[in-house]
Amino acid sequence: MMGIFMAGKTKEADVIKKLEELGQKMLSQIDAESSPTFTTALRSKGNIIYDEGVGYIRLGGKTEERKFVNVGQARKFMQTVAIAAKCKKFLKEGAHTSIRGLFYQLKFSLGDNLDEELFSEQSESNPLVEDLEVALGVKREDLNLNTDRKGVVAGPLVLKDKFGGGEDIIDCTKQGRSGWMIPSDVDNGMEFLEVGADYVLVVEKDAMWQRLNEDKFWKKENCILITPKGQASRGCRRLIRKLASRKLPVYVFTDCDAWGWYIYWAIKTGSMNLAYLGSDIATPEARFVGVTMSDIKDYDFLGQLTINAKEVDIKRAEEMLSYDWIQHHKDWVEELKTVLKTKKKLEQDALQGPRLSFVGDYLREKIAKKKFLA
Amino acid sequence: MATVTDKIFSEFKEHSVAEFFKKNQQMLGFSGKTRSLTTVVHEYITNSLDACEEAGILPEVSVTIEELDKDSGRYRIIAEDNGPGIPEKHIGKALGQMLAGTKFHRYAQQRGQQGIGAAGCTMYAQITTGKPIKVVSRYDRKKISCEISIDLKSNTPKIMNLSKEEGDFGSGLRVEAEIADAKYDKSSFGAYEYVRRTALANPHLQITLNAPDGEKAVFPRSSTKIPEKPVVVQPHPLGITTNDLIDFAHREREFIRISSFLQERFARVSPAKVDELRSLVPDLDFNKKPSELQWHEAEKLVKAIHSPSIKWIAPSTDSVKPIGKEQIEKSLQNILAPQFVVVAERSPKIFKGGIPFMVEAAIAYGGGAGKKAGDASSSEIIRYANRAPLLFDNSGCAITEAVKSIDWKRYGLKNFDEEPISVFVNISSVYVPYTSAGKQAISNEEEIVQEIKNAVMEAARELQRYLSGINREKERHERKKAILRYVQQLSKDLPDLAGKGKPEEVEKKLVHLIETKYSSHIENAEEEEPLQKEGQEEEEDIEE
Repeated sequence: MMGIFMAGKTKEADVIKKLEELGQKMLSQIDAESSPTFTTALRSKGNIIYDEGVGYIRLGGKTEERKFVNVGQARKFMQTVAIAAKCKKFLKEGAHTSIRGLFYQLKFSLGDNLDEELFSEQSESNPLVEDLEVALGVKREDLNLNTDRKGVVAGPLVLKDKFGGGEDIIDCTKQGRSGWMIPSDVDNGMEFLEVGADYVLVVEKDAMWQRLNEDKFWKKENCILITPKGQASRGCRRLIRKLASRKLPVYVFTDCDAWGWYIYWAIKTGSMNLAYLGSDIATPEARFVGVTMSDIKDYDFLGQLTINAKEVDIKRAEEMLSYDWIQHHKDWVEELKTVLKTKKKLEQDALQGPRLSFVGDYLREKIAKKKFLA
Repeated sequence: MATVTDKIFSEFKEHSVAEFFKKNQQMLGFSGKTRSLTTVVHEYITNSLDACEEAGILPEVSVTIEELDKDSGRYRIIAEDNGPGIPEKHIGKALGQMLAGTKFHRYAQQRGQQGIGAAGCTMYAQITTGKPIKVVSRYDRKKISCEISIDLKSNTPKIMNLSKEEGDFGSGLRVEAEIADAKYDKSSFGAYEYVRRTALANPHLQITLNAPDGEKAVFPRSSTKIPEKPVVVQPHPLGITTNDLIDFAHREREFIRISSFLQERFARVSPAKVDELRSLVPDLDFNKKPSELQWHEAEKLVKAIHSPSIKWIAPSTDSVKPIGKEQIEKSLQNILAPQFVVVAERSPKIFKGGIPFMVEAAIAYGGGAGKKAGDASSSEIIRYANRAPLLFDNSGCAITEAVKSIDWKRYGLKNFDEEPISVFVNISSVYVPYTSAGKQAISNEEEIVQEIKNAVMEAARELQRYLSGINREKERHERKKAILRYVQQLSKDLPDLAGKGKPEEVEKKLVHLIETKYSSHIENAEEEEPLQKEGQEEEEDIEE
């Protein structure tokens, strides 16, 4: 089951069953006078691979057995079981919490005679949540653990949100200036009713999203306009993935700098930390629409609006050029070489230089002419 | 009893050297205040032990030291034993005549070898306080009391105030000497340490020390096995010095030719060997009287004896009488109460081409082992020659050299000097090669140093096994404890998670499981590796 996530909706009952089976296996191991164990995929660097065939970062086949009767693992094992038991309780109660909430639920003394807490730092519990996700083949959202919401949507998308005993219909064309905020879980209790868009546009910055929303760009272009507000959250990436699975092209619009590239590649290929989620959050189909250094050739004014690249931008460009897989992306190699040559960068805000709504024209033109970096 | 006693003392022979030793007290161990007192205690205890061994008696010795005047270092020393006693006719020679002792003219492995001992104490008492020693000897339904001093000019005993009683008094000797220019202390050179170490090497001895500070130290015996009687052996030529040779030759009365003297008085000297010597020393007349042997001739003869062209048959190793592995172990357990004790027993070896000797080495670790100063421990090297403690001349001794040359780190001791360890080494030989007449250190003969080192290292290997065992056991215990502390919580959560099972039952099974896995008698083939570090190279700011 490892690494293969239950597609789409995981019924709470199924997850509870998985949790119970995990516990029952441990009990029968104890009955057989052997140490209780569970198996999880190794999430260390040595088992994280960029799979060129599928175009995203995923875990390799290395697994690891966690044992209770092992002095190096006993505490973590006990903690993992405590998390699992707690999550089962959340699922039974239909209650959700954050991993921080979970941490506080489990931050208590192990006993009067023991000067030790079950958990004393959240940094201890976070990786164990991941262990459990991988061991059970579920996502933390399936365990009723929320992450912070981040990311906003506007455009022709209608959803049904079953939550807290109620049910709401959300129409993303009717969310005014603020848009619909992407929840951490877009799978459980969340259903796409209508997806009427031609494509998805992901815009790095909230300010740029507000510009395009005010210009009703999504309405004119019939697209779903998303901003992750910087790095994309799990929920945001998952939403993008789900939309892409509905055959919608995904275009990403970021600054031409280290941070922007990172946001794009994280959406496209996933990331090291979330390698265990692999195909669930990666969108290899995503295309980079801009801003690029080569845009300067087409838009003279941009030449005046470059700013000096920071050291981190240069380093990141050099690092990316050193990857084998980037060599398959010729456009990117050119782009990065230009950055290194000119030591300049371009922000997406620069496209508001001529006039505020120029950015819409820019995007329309680039998408129409399919001027992407792939 | 009487026959045994008579037999011992019939071997007395006369010698006149009292004047010489008066001028050279240091040769007898009378140098320095502490050492002088220790020497007196040493001589009396040694005599008691040797006499008891000869007579087949389990020795019980009591030593009382009274401080009479601190400024002049005046002490009364009373040594009392349950030995055979000394018959009246021998008592003067035994305690009032230098070099008249039983031991001087015999070759046997004994504690004292020069036969100066007790008479030397009489002399020391006489020249520091002017007082004779007081003696009570009980033997053969008799009890005689007297005072003894030495006429230093003629080296003859003076017996005064002699009184006799008949009746059943058992047997034993009580000697009381008053000396000055002495000092009692508990240093490693003091009388206390001497008694303690004597007890360590003589498990059959029960000894009590009544110290001037009011302390009564009792060292009970741990064994009722009396050591075998020393075997009297003829000297082997290889063990002889020019001085010895002259001494023997000039005392020879029975054999009238040097050739027959050599053949009859020394071990392994055949007529053929005499012929070989003859050809090596052609200018010596082997037919002349032994008493006419000149120093320069004796020198040549000894040189010839050591000539590589002569192949001597090694002397019999029967003469070597060790303490015994079991005895040493019992004794160290008894007196030091250490956590661990190991004794290395080696077979007799040969030095200087033909002299047999045997090394016994033991290590006591932890508990009462080592020197104590408050809570701090330090190592001690306890040296013996034929069971007699060697307290002085520590640094010049083969035993010290050998022990110090060992790389103790290899045996699990990080800092040898600061470990609670007693290293015990006893060298048994008829011819212990002392560095000087004081007999407090063994000379650094290469074969001896190497053999001591081998013996101590053999014991050290066992110590290392023990220490690593402790560490393993400790580690096992730590591991067990580290896991057990999480059992309760896990036992609570597991039934919740599984939706079945009872916490108490799960806890019981888990505890059993862990106790079994970490019990000391089950070795686990499965090595535990620390938990793998998680790869957290890339931090993302969205995980909160």
